Amino acid sequence: MAKFLVKLRYYPGDPLEAIKVGDLEKIGKQYGMDISYEKIEKREMKNGMLMEDTMKGHIEDITQEVVTVAGDDEKSFTDSIRALYKKFRCPRTAYSLMGSNEAGRKISWALMETPGVGGWE
Amino acid sequence: MKILALNGSVRKYGNSEILLKQALMGAEAEGAEVEILKLADYNIGPCLGCGLCLFRENVCQQKDNTHEIFEKVDAADGVILGAPCYFLELTAVVKQLIDRCWIIGHNKIGKPEKPASVIVPYATRGWIPYVFTQANILFNVMCLTKINQAAICTQGISEVVLNQEGMDLADRMGREIVEAVRTKDFSYRGEKGICPACHDKLLRVMSDMETIECPTCGVRGKLSLVDGKIDVKFEEKAWKDARFRLDVSYNHYTYHIAPSKDYFLRTKDERKSKTQKYREYLAK
Repeated sequence: MAKFLVKLRYYPGDPLEAIKVGDLEKIGKQYGMDISYEKIEKREMKNGMLMEDTMKGHIEDITQEVVTVAGDDEKSFTDSIRALYKKFRCPRTAYSLMGSNEAGRKISWALMETPGVGGWE
Repeated sequence: MKILALNGSVRKYGNSEILLKQALMGAEAEGAEVEILKLADYNIGPCLGCGLCLFRENVCQQKDNTHEIFEKVDAADGVILGAPCYFLELTAVVKQLIDRCWIIGHNKIGKPEKPASVIVPYATRGWIPYVFTQANILFNVMCLTKINQAAICTQGISEVVLNQEGMDLADRMGREIVEAVRTKDFSYRGEKGICPACHDKLLRVMSDMETIECPTCGVRGKLSLVDGKIDVKFEEKAWKDARFRLDVSYNHYTYHIAPSKDYFLRTKDERKSKTQKYREYLAK
């Protein structure tokens, strides 16, 4: 079990650019982190729009892209999260780190709140 | 064809009312049926933040008059908002109405687009930086497309009748709303702004100190100096993020708001124990 683990949950429209596995591998290699990617797609085309009922589902099950970062070195972990935020921006919602361990969540949340890092402010 | 004026002033026979009535006279002269509605005459309660409109029956639980305003806007073909600027922005009743718009803001799919304009009487030049922001937000959540905006300089009650240029402009704006409805041409006719979506000139400097954003629309771009003049370029791809686009507001509701119900329910016990001390602290 890694000391630091975070799940960054990006919902449709959240990432600054398309998340590509190749880009994640590059960042993972650069900082010595295990980075994995999962895409969940539940939307259906209705009336010309991609739509989904998310009211009754669980946060983990609705359409999203989940980038999981795991590692034991705090500085490398922090730097890798910074790099991910720089490329894709940070996830947006209060619940977008669900499934992380406390150590990973704490660092990732603090970086979201750091001016100029999260990419939203 | 019906043109509806929303008056955001509390004063009777004030400058907002006069300008709106002049605009409606122009609209009526072009053949429209007209109506004016004073927001302050309606009981528009503050949004309670209860979330019922978002998470349950899709209706607002408050039994006040706000839904009557929404019905009138629905029934109109074009809208003109008028409100005074007292402190840099529009009056509180406009904001109060905006806050109640959750119920329509996330039910925009299938709603027809309609033209709208905003007229703001104000007193002192240089004291109106945010006057169009609330109108832009209100129009966007109500599926109204702004075709013109005007800030008209005047001071005391009813003094705007002494500003013939302002009165003429209001009259023209009333007529052009009718023309827009007739021709379905909702292109913007007002003074050129910076943001091509809301036509406002406000910009927010992002923390990276490289990027600027239209704070209303959320569209980002870059700022530079060209021949000593500020030049703002919005990125083409940034338009896909424009806050009030139908798909973007749909995503906001669907992925940023609706799933929070799950989070709320799952954190119930933890919240309960952690909030107890705040319930007791300074309790009467």
